[in-house]
Amino acid sequence: MKSPVESILNVTGKTRYIDDLPVPTGTLEAAVKLSASARGRILDIDATRALALDPSVRVISARDIPGTNQTGFTVPDEKLLPEEEWEYQGQPVVLCLARTRALARRAAVLVTIQGEDLPAIIDEREAAAANAFVLPSRTMKMGDPEEAFKDCAYVLSGTVRSGGQEHVYLETQGAIAEVRDGEKVFVISGTQGPTGVQKAVAAVLNLPMNKVEVEARRLGGAFGGKEDQAATWGALAALGAWVSGHPVRLYLNRRDDIRATGKRHPYSSDYRIGMDQDGQILAFEADYYQNSGCTCDLSPAILSRTLFHATGAYSIPNVRVTGYMCRTNLPSFTAFRGFGAPQGFFVIECAIQALSARSGKDVTALRYHNLYKERDITHYGMPLEGCRTADAFDRLIERTDWVSLRDRIDDFNAESRLYRKGAAILPVCFGISFTKLLMNQAGSLVHVYQDGSVLVSTGAIEMGQQVNRKIALAAAGALGVRVERVSVERTTTLTVANTVPTAASTGADLNAMAAVVACESIHKRLKAKAASLRGVEESRIRIENDLILVDGEACDLSWEKLVIATFESRIDLSAHGYYATPGLFYDMKTERGSPFAYHVYGAACVEATVDILRGSYTIDKATIIHDMGNSFDEKVDIGQIEGAFAQGLGWALLEDLQFAGAGGVPALSMPGKLLSDTLSTYKLPDIHFTPGKIEIEFLPPREGPSALRGSKAVGEPPLIYGIAGYFAVLDALLSVSPHAPILADLPLTPEKVLTFLFDARSPKAEPGFSGSLPSGGNQPRQQCQN
Amino acid sequence: MKKNISFVANDRPVNVEVWPGSPALDFIRGQLGLTGTKEGCREGDCGACAVLLGSMERDGLVHYRTAPSCLLAMGELDHHHLLTIEGLSSAAATSAAAAGADKGITPVMSAFLEENASQCGFCSPGFIISLTGWLMESAILDVAGAVVAVEGNLCRCTGYGAIRRAAEALVSKFASLPPPGPERLRVLVGARVIPQSVLDFLATREIPAARTDGEDTREAQGGSAQVARPGNASPSREISATQGGTLPSPGGSIAPETDRRKSILLLGGGTDWYVRNPEPEETDDCFLLDLLPPFHRIARVADREGHPRIEIGEATTIREFFASPLLRTAVPGLENFEQDFASSLIRNRATVGGNVCNASPVADMTAILIGLGATVTVGTPGAAAYDASAPETGNGVSIADASPLSTRTFPLEKLFKGYKSLDLNEGEIVEAFGIVPLTNSDRHVERFNFEKIAKRRSLDIAAVNTACRIAVDSEGTILRARLSAGGVGPTPLYLEKASTFLEGKKLSKEVVEDAADIAVSETCPISDVRGSAEYRKRLLRRLIIAHFIRLFPDESLVQELLP
Repeated sequence: MKSPVESILNVTGKTRYIDDLPVPTGTLEAAVKLSASARGRILDIDATRALALDPSVRVISARDIPGTNQTGFTVPDEKLLPEEEWEYQGQPVVLCLARTRALARRAAVLVTIQGEDLPAIIDEREAAAANAFVLPSRTMKMGDPEEAFKDCAYVLSGTVRSGGQEHVYLETQGAIAEVRDGEKVFVISGTQGPTGVQKAVAAVLNLPMNKVEVEARRLGGAFGGKEDQAATWGALAALGAWVSGHPVRLYLNRRDDIRATGKRHPYSSDYRIGMDQDGQILAFEADYYQNSGCTCDLSPAILSRTLFHATGAYSIPNVRVTGYMCRTNLPSFTAFRGFGAPQGFFVIECAIQALSARSGKDVTALRYHNLYKERDITHYGMPLEGCRTADAFDRLIERTDWVSLRDRIDDFNAESRLYRKGAAILPVCFGISFTKLLMNQAGSLVHVYQDGSVLVSTGAIEMGQQVNRKIALAAAGALGVRVERVSVERTTTLTVANTVPTAASTGADLNAMAAVVACESIHKRLKAKAASLRGVEESRIRIENDLILVDGEACDLSWEKLVIATFESRIDLSAHGYYATPGLFYDMKTERGSPFAYHVYGAACVEATVDILRGSYTIDKATIIHDMGNSFDEKVDIGQIEGAFAQGLGWALLEDLQFAGAGGVPALSMPGKLLSDTLSTYKLPDIHFTPGKIEIEFLPPREGPSALRGSKAVGEPPLIYGIAGYFAVLDALLSVSPHAPILADLPLTPEKVLTFLFDARSPKAEPGFSGSLPSGGNQPRQQCQN
Repeated sequence: MKKNISFVANDRPVNVEVWPGSPALDFIRGQLGLTGTKEGCREGDCGACAVLLGSMERDGLVHYRTAPSCLLAMGELDHHHLLTIEGLSSAAATSAAAAGADKGITPVMSAFLEENASQCGFCSPGFIISLTGWLMESAILDVAGAVVAVEGNLCRCTGYGAIRRAAEALVSKFASLPPPGPERLRVLVGARVIPQSVLDFLATREIPAARTDGEDTREAQGGSAQVARPGNASPSREISATQGGTLPSPGGSIAPETDRRKSILLLGGGTDWYVRNPEPEETDDCFLLDLLPPFHRIARVADREGHPRIEIGEATTIREFFASPLLRTAVPGLENFEQDFASSLIRNRATVGGNVCNASPVADMTAILIGLGATVTVGTPGAAAYDASAPETGNGVSIADASPLSTRTFPLEKLFKGYKSLDLNEGEIVEAFGIVPLTNSDRHVERFNFEKIAKRRSLDIAAVNTACRIAVDSEGTILRARLSAGGVGPTPLYLEKASTFLEGKKLSKEVVEDAADIAVSETCPISDVRGSAEYRKRLLRRLIIAHFIRLFPDESLVQELLP
């Protein structure tokens, strides 16, 4: 296969990201001044010293905003720059511009913000106790759990915690903005959703949307982090350009990006689960406390996905799940691949692990026994069609030779005292569609030029998932040309309006369909022209692979000739396409409906080795059976699965987002401070951390709901497989101490592993060092900066 | 103060006035317009800004080493050959078959394309630089080595599967390259992996007649305190301009005795200093210690009693430290701990002295050196030491020659006064470290081990690290023992009580566990982002036990010590 042009540009270093683009003469570089504490009142902003630095310096604050100081889309609770109070540590308060980035950053340091700190809420439970919610809670219910618990042989309850996760898109957030013709604004934004940026810029500058053009080229990674939250940086750059009269480029450095932007939501959850004597789970209840951060952002949509996936891949007849969006003084947590589903999956899997420990039943058998089956009804009332959980599980058992794998692990553990091995199988059932109904739509614009070449524009943003490749393949198929004829253009609000973000794994599903709709209408016109040129009935003409076929035989009419003949007949060679996912409905009042176009199924087995002396571990191997439908391009889809799996593994085991005062981290004197705000303190998977052996197999496609040409979305579902890594390490730990309480606190860092091993031993054998900590004296807390 | 430097950027000679301390990344992107080199984190943790630097090294050959350009001082480029992704791409641009967008795809890039190893693409140039550097310099070309070559490169999209497969493809394609050196470079130019400009650079640097054999030659010179200058056989000064190392020397800006009023930056490799000073302001002067012969050397010498000692110049890079035949002989198994230290990218730049002088309580090299019982030599070098071009005469310059003023030598652990605070007088800098080689006889064995636990195994700062050097006689009696620990107090620690306790004792479960308990009692860790105080104490105790399990794997002791 010939490599896509984008990939060639990537490997030769020619791809231009925001910071690589040439900018007009006179462009000012921007930097932001971030708030220094979790919450406070602004008393005065003194820019004197900053302005004295260089004549080019400009300092811009909320009072310079000509329009509405508002960038919140779901709920208007998000100011671009604070007017009176800042709401989290790391919030942009002031925008500084200067002729070089170094000067702008120095100016930002020199601006002084006089303020007084106000009481802050950091932890989600603290917020719940104070009734601080972003929006009212939501509950989904099926059957009668209270009643069902009475019939259960085992009823367990517990608390589960999962930490946040920083996106670490390699390209940080940024935008370039320019005022054109005195009244129009042009923004190049690193965003997954150009329309969102367009709306924010229009609001802030008090312009109609038709005066704001937003263009998105390639992104250097996004993963949800540039879905809603790119709007802030696009709007700040536009504000800077509007106020200064100069083009402005804002490109965050890593530390500012990590401090200022939202991440995956931390959760803590209480569950209750009941199972009968035979291992059938009869009832499940859970309360999810989502740490939403300081604004609404996408929290409600994310919470709804947690609730939709509350029972994981399991059929449970009696369910009651409630989610709380807790408002805290932390950055506004936002979309991150998986979008609330991983947090839901983790809770049910912890509950099943606890059931296994209590009942003595094998955890894998329990998981298998309770899988969703064809036409099972979910707790939100959607029947599952084409359900493949058992197919995937069966194939995984076969492929990993699970029974003998277990034996080998048990034998190893019986012999080895320094190392223990563990393995876990996790099934996945993941709904595809935006959980917010109105977002399931897309547009396209297709031109066939006179030489027969094809240009396709859609709302899809290319960020490495090769959505443009999929769109090109789909468009070529629908037009009947070779894919080499098709060029997919960057996304701008000029060509395709009212786009939805490229997110929720739907980028290819929606946008390729919109492109196909447009291509089909052009194809129809061309076919009619070919029929009239050949003097045959339209039904006898086919256009395929650049050839014009009459009764299945190639004729001497070429694609180029047909195109030019069509043009000369004054027939339109362009078309706009529009697609809205059919069959979706949801009633928020009853919490019933069919919110997903289809589900993606799969199962993963992860194997791990734990060093029980040192508390460290390695992930040895992963085997994944995945329901891909008809894959458009296997290498691309495998790349998505491996990448999502690594992110899931990182979230489950390694990535330790620590906010002082949240999730068990002591607040000390700096509540709300992000302690892991650099890549030297926040570690994500590197090549050593991910297993050298990852085997991926696609389930053979089967009839059932899917997307274009029988394909299925692939972006998010495989992230869930990473959670199997958590349970593989836990499995190894349980071989040391089978009766220890289940650890349900993610990420499972080496510290937690050692603590588990330590607590598992008799306290006499290895005395604890509990009690008062030795005084640290005047030692600075951050003693371990290398 | 700006200085004139000249270097080759891909195929173009560059002659420019710069402040030597300014970061190379900004110059590469801003002044040279080579935007294929990306800024991802500006602290050496992502590898997106990796470049290749070619220079004559002390073996008399031109070598190319990868470096994170965000942590690279512009002064380091002087007389070097800088290769960026654009330069690599030019290797294949003239290929007859190539046209349009396909132009400029080298075999490494092609492997990435074949395996779909580039998704968003932001990290791709860095990975390709690292793998190209590995093809140029790695003695053994296997997948494990390729993985180590990219351990300092982060990719958030692929999960590394496709990158691993690309590396596998390169291993099979380039299985039979000549050993690292000019011949291999010629083969790689022929294969369009690297550009012609490499051969051009080689031609300007090669001096086949006057090659030295590096360290081993200098070992033969041992017996006096004379220190060999690296590359003293070279007619050009570039020969001394090899790798730099980590951090700034003491505090980053200690003025030499000659000129106290100026603000002077003394940099090792800069790999810590630039993390704290990502956009540094110009100083009056700036010296890059690794370019200065007195500070960049490893030599075997003898003390007054004739006992052998290895001297390690403070600007020795971490890579050179672990690769040194002298050190590998002196401390068998030392190379096993190389991968505990940062990433291959950082090891090419970071220096031994920089890691020590940064005074982090958890510096890996400091723990290793204190465990080995290293001494440190500090001094007030004269102006001559800061002149990279001056001492061309003679067969090596001793520290004494370069340092007319006094020097002091003392146990390394005594260098640390408090948190990030060194016991140095005004104008004094750390110059070198000394290690006494491990000894073995019919009657005793002496062994060394290093333990480190961090959240991530590679390129992460430890929660706790510890080193152990121990000599045991054939009866199992401990003759000498030294334990060090990092991350458990405001300074790197020599665990004196535990070490003393062990001496004269017979190896047993009880003795080891008592020593571990004593070790813990000597520490006062605090809680931070890398671990709680409680965890650090528990971990240190476990790691002390781990020393004995690793060092005496054949004894029945191991079974008793396991948890």
